[in-house]
Amino acid sequence: MILISRRETMRKQSFTLFLLSFCLLLLMGCATLETKKKPYEVTPKGTVVYRGEFEFILPPLGWNIFWPEGEDEGEFAFGFMRRDPGPFPSQSIFAYDEEPFGCSTTFEGREKEFFKRFLWNAILKFEVLERKKVQVLGQEGLSVTVEGKDPVRKEKAKAKVIFTKRGERIVAFYITQWRPIDGVYDPSAFEVFDKFVQSFKYLKKSFYETL
Amino acid sequence: MEGHQRNLYLYERFNARVLGVSVDDVIILKYWAKSLDLTFPLLSNVTGFLGASFGVEPSLEIKGYPVFSRRTVIIDRRGVIRYVQDGSPRYKEILLLLKKLNEEGQ
Repeated sequence: MILISRRETMRKQSFTLFLLSFCLLLLMGCATLETKKKPYEVTPKGTVVYRGEFEFILPPLGWNIFWPEGEDEGEFAFGFMRRDPGPFPSQSIFAYDEEPFGCSTTFEGREKEFFKRFLWNAILKFEVLERKKVQVLGQEGLSVTVEGKDPVRKEKAKAKVIFTKRGERIVAFYITQWRPIDGVYDPSAFEVFDKFVQSFKYLKKSFYETL
Repeated sequence: MEGHQRNLYLYERFNARVLGVSVDDVIILKYWAKSLDLTFPLLSNVTGFLGASFGVEPSLEIKGYPVFSRRTVIIDRRGVIRYVQDGSPRYKEILLLLKKLNEEGQ
């Protein structure tokens, strides 16, 4: 008899605990609904529209998107990164940058300014592998492929930067692939980057074009 | 400062001029301007009186060194202060105000 009543008490306690947990979960659910709305949406055709301003295709699985945090005005960038097989620092990162380093309004001038500060904290000495004029976003652009090596850390990086214009201002797309100094680069990441750039569209004029 | 340099063509379009003021000495500013490819004037105000006259408070973070916090001030053609903002410059806000002042002939 005593055992049964203890069991009943335990059942009641368990039920109360379950109810409490359920209420808590519901409340947590409510809190989640209040969180900040994501700045992007996926369209039925599989592209992503970011802030109603940019449209592009998503890279394949394995690429993680990163959005700017604490984004300052005029310093806007977003992109994707992938951990590559192999030892540190094997990874690939590509991005769209509204305000690439430098101020010059010519591609050649901006290229010079940009590479003074690009990956500056890695202390890489860049060698230009290829520089060519390209058509991007329906207009002329400049594509520069470089490789930088750090013999002290025994690391290297290959990067491709495409400068183009949005209105009067220079913008840039870039990809950086990091490898140990004796590692082999993976060209598939550069192909994903090229497809991303080719798919990229502006859905409206930039703030500066409306002034 | 690099943001101001990028917007220089728009400042010119709105008949505005930009000046940078710093407590650093001329030699430091010269190298700094060169490293960032800045073409607008930078004023070296080692004693900091210019900052003080615009109400900029000395930074409390570095004691014993005359460091001033950042402040953006917009002065119109009549010499009236039309905008004061502390911290990093809000470039879009600045451009919208300059456009408005230019349209008003100020």
